[in-house]
Amino acid sequence: MFKFFSSTNIYLLIEKLIKFVNSIFFLILAIGLTFALVLSPPDFLQGDAVRIMYVHVPSAWIGLSCFSLITLLSVLNFIFKIKNFYFINKSAAPIGLLFTCLAIVTGSLWGQPTWGTWWAWDARLTSMLVLMLFYILYILTFKLLKKEELIIKVSSIIAIVGSINLPIIKYSVEWWTTLHQPASIKITGSSSIHSEMLLPLMVMLLAFLLYAALIFLMKYKTEIIRIKKKNIKRN
Amino acid sequence: MILNFITMNGYGLYVWLSFGIVFISCVVVYLKTKKTLKKYEQEFLAELKALTLEEKNKALENSKVAQQILATSSKIN
Repeated sequence: MFKFFSSTNIYLLIEKLIKFVNSIFFLILAIGLTFALVLSPPDFLQGDAVRIMYVHVPSAWIGLSCFSLITLLSVLNFIFKIKNFYFINKSAAPIGLLFTCLAIVTGSLWGQPTWGTWWAWDARLTSMLVLMLFYILYILTFKLLKKEELIIKVSSIIAIVGSINLPIIKYSVEWWTTLHQPASIKITGSSSIHSEMLLPLMVMLLAFLLYAALIFLMKYKTEIIRIKKKNIKRN
Repeated sequence: MILNFITMNGYGLYVWLSFGIVFISCVVVYLKTKKTLKKYEQEFLAELKALTLEEKNKALENSKVAQQILATSSKIN
């Protein structure tokens, strides 16, 4: 069964997956943008500034999810020594960094009209900035270190240490008094967001996830080619 | 109505700037990733072509990835 997850089989599957994602991405994005910019109602307090939520929230969620995935795979790689996890992490990290940066920038653009400031050193904003720094550190290990075994060790340590920040980001709005509003969407319990806003948010999240998947597949494919290129003469 | 859509009742600058930054960043990352992928595919092909016929046949026999890249080489070039 594990043979199915070999880099060769995955490579053959990637091409099909890229085509599939490409075929539905623009349709989902168009629906999402129509809802986000036209059909969804303005907020009774924030007015049309609330539309920034449709790019800010999915970006933040993907930024956090990528780091969670990286941490999980780093721990599993430490235990089971599955090299594929290292390549998955290497491909996922730039996506996580991109979306974390976008969450910070769009958050700042949302903060100005609603809070009256671009930036505040409050718990949620600062912890997101720390996450961004961990992403940069993580990616730098691939750029600066040469030996693959050392890269795996150092990057895994960075991911595991950085994961301490994840619950801080999640609960920062509950543990401290912050400018940032508490979570409106809860997996357990009732969400305080209206369905007319929840639907566009979910469609935009789907569009962002498809984009992230597309970039991930392309980066992962690059990694496989890079390895096969190294081994070409050994075959 | 169109003016309202553009100005977003005074929040247009923030809303359009947010969506614009996200859009441009995503396009840039997509193009950069695609360029890197193509570069590696071309380098792989070049290395494959530099092999002797015997080495090339052996490499193709042992690597489905090499077969796939060679098969799609017309698309790459």
